[in-house]
Amino acid sequence: MGEVGGGEATTGFEPVIRVLQTLALPLGHVAWNAWILAYKDSLVKESPPQESPPLSPQLPRSGLESTHPAIMHILTNLTQNKIIALLLRFLAAILTIAAITLVLQAFKPEWTNQVIVLIYLLPVMLSTVLWGLVPGILAAFLAFLAFNYYYLVPLNTFQVHATQDLILLTIFLIVAVVLAQLIGQARQGERLARSREWEATRMYELISALAPLQDISAVAQALADRTREAFDCTQVEVTTLEKKGDPSITARAPESDSVNLAPTARIRIETAREKEGELRLWLAEGNLSAEEQRLLAAFASQGALSIERIRLARGEKRSRLLEESDKLKSSLLNSVSHELRTPLAAIKASVSSLRSQTVDWNAPERSELLATIEEETDHLNLLVGNLLDMSRIESGALKPHRTWNALSEIVWGVAGKMRTQLQDHQLMINLPGDLPLVPTDYVMIEQVFINLLSNSIKYAAPGTRIEISAGTELDFMHVRLANQSPPVPEDHLALIFEKFHRITAADRVTGTGLGLSICKGMIEAHGGKIWAANEPGRFVFHFTLPLTLDGALPDSPREIDNG
Amino acid sequence: MDKDPTILLIDDEPQILRALKTILAANHFKVALAATGEQGIAMAVAQPPDLIILDLTLPDMDGIAVAEAVREWSRVPIIVLSVRDNEKDKVAALDKGADDYLTKPFGIEELLARIRVALRHSEQAIGNKQSIIKAGPVTVDLARHVATMRGEEIRLTATEFKLLAYLTAHADRVLTHQAILTQVWGFEDFDHVEYLRVYVGQLRKKLEQNPDDPQLILTEPGVGYRFKAGE
Repeated sequence: MGEVGGGEATTGFEPVIRVLQTLALPLGHVAWNAWILAYKDSLVKESPPQESPPLSPQLPRSGLESTHPAIMHILTNLTQNKIIALLLRFLAAILTIAAITLVLQAFKPEWTNQVIVLIYLLPVMLSTVLWGLVPGILAAFLAFLAFNYYYLVPLNTFQVHATQDLILLTIFLIVAVVLAQLIGQARQGERLARSREWEATRMYELISALAPLQDISAVAQALADRTREAFDCTQVEVTTLEKKGDPSITARAPESDSVNLAPTARIRIETAREKEGELRLWLAEGNLSAEEQRLLAAFASQGALSIERIRLARGEKRSRLLEESDKLKSSLLNSVSHELRTPLAAIKASVSSLRSQTVDWNAPERSELLATIEEETDHLNLLVGNLLDMSRIESGALKPHRTWNALSEIVWGVAGKMRTQLQDHQLMINLPGDLPLVPTDYVMIEQVFINLLSNSIKYAAPGTRIEISAGTELDFMHVRLANQSPPVPEDHLALIFEKFHRITAADRVTGTGLGLSICKGMIEAHGGKIWAANEPGRFVFHFTLPLTLDGALPDSPREIDNG
Repeated sequence: MDKDPTILLIDDEPQILRALKTILAANHFKVALAATGEQGIAMAVAQPPDLIILDLTLPDMDGIAVAEAVREWSRVPIIVLSVRDNEKDKVAALDKGADDYLTKPFGIEELLARIRVALRHSEQAIGNKQSIIKAGPVTVDLARHVATMRGEEIRLTATEFKLLAYLTAHADRVLTHQAILTQVWGFEDFDHVEYLRVYVGQLRKKLEQNPDDPQLILTEPGVGYRFKAGE
């Protein structure tokens, strides 16, 4: 090192500048590129290196323009090779010390050794800041050697005679190395902190993107998109496994056809419990650094957690539904076994009596027994129908087949069907003659009226009046069924439409406790509402039905031509 | 029909077969039993019955398909048995050629009445077309374009007349909305149930004593209408 400028540059400014030019230009470029490499290594990709080189802008470029692309080319090729990059940084550190030595040798200032020593600390510091810890320590040693060689007696040797000089040299070495180390550590710490911060930001973005998602394909897509943004890669593919009824999903970012090339990296998306899928990514060139691989693993496990969360939430919902349906089934079984046995007992008793050889039934007795059998059979049929309706409502299989119907036709039809049951009550039907047609499933609305009437018959005293009326309100038909049953406590009004809800003791009134909840299910399937209200002197069921079918009113009927 | 008519009963439930066989035999019908659709079709080919009672839910094939297969070569009356809430199947079976339907559970009187109507109609179908239709208290004179109720003329619009003529010509039989609409209005109006609601309402006003509680033009819930002539 020393021999490079040892004998030269004894007078004036020009030789110094010449030396500087010849040395600094390649040095500048090397340093700049080394700086870029160092920077690339540091993973901080959100702030890519600026266009202007930070080290050498003030240095003249003339005469070396032609070599510049060549150097760049070599350097670009070298990006593949980190060892050479490291060597470049060492070279940069060596050149820095050489430059300082040259400058000092060129000026030969009349300064004491103590000042020179301090000046030598500068390149050491600079090397550490720019190229890292190890080049910094190398610079410290070189500075130590150079100082020893040029400034300590005997000059131009590596020998030291004076104890004082020895102390100075030793302290310099210690200070330089410690300084280099401290700066290097601080720099590395800063670099690490910045890369951690960058990783944390990406993770944060990923987590906030995944948090609100409720289905697996959305998670796969978000994971693919975020990975692509974070890793600056050409293609990301996330595939989830087929599981528990979920199909296998492949999400790609950017959206494209599948890539034939082998991926740069692939990582399993898995939780502690099971594998959920795989994440593959393709880089334009190169490989993932250790930090990037770590981050990718974190991404994949975050994705796995989100998928697991969705599965668990779904499982919980399912088990809640199952629990509810279990509860329903057990209370249904209780209620049903009792309800079904009662008519069966009556039928069995009547039939076995009729078959009995010991009694000779007269005609009225026979007829009475036979009537019991028929009525109880109808009752059983009604119960079974209720159960079927309820299970349809519960499973969401209740789909009304809506056609244009006249409400009066349905109401009068029900009144005819229930004539026997209604014989102890006065049924009044008050329907305006100009009531429009309403799109309904005839059988369902018929069932609604049957259930509401059965309920009224059960709770309203014999001889009282049951009144059915209807009118239109905006887009709805509003139907009222009023009876004179005792009022229902206000806090029970909504509950009476729940399954198995009874306001009176179960033994007073018979039935499955399903009638009103079936009404609710059927009216809601029509897009209407049902509720109940206490009014002065009466209790009223209200329900509404939309007046339009697919947003349209009925066509006015076409009169055909005579013929 | 020389003596007791033969009824082919196609149903896979032994309890139903046992009960119906006993009841029908007691009512002077000869009963043949088939437990599957295939068997039913084969038996209908081998020994053509006078009437078929067909359950819509069979183990081997759809009851509707059985009706369709039989209709390809025979005009034997078919009464289908179905459960409540299965209006779509009832309508499909009727549109594919079934003559009537009953919802399980049914009273035996009702079944016997339907059987008698169906048998009578199949006899009538053999005879020539009448220009004067008599159905209960209503008489429709197709040639003179006059409808009377217990001898008194009913003033009807052209549409009402055509509708009444179609209903009375098929009295006591269930007619699906689609069948009535295509026959009276034409194919392009087959799904305009609202026309029917309006015109049936008008006819009831002119024919029924209490139009709200009709005794002549009966609604078959979710399926269609039936003009009740006598039985």
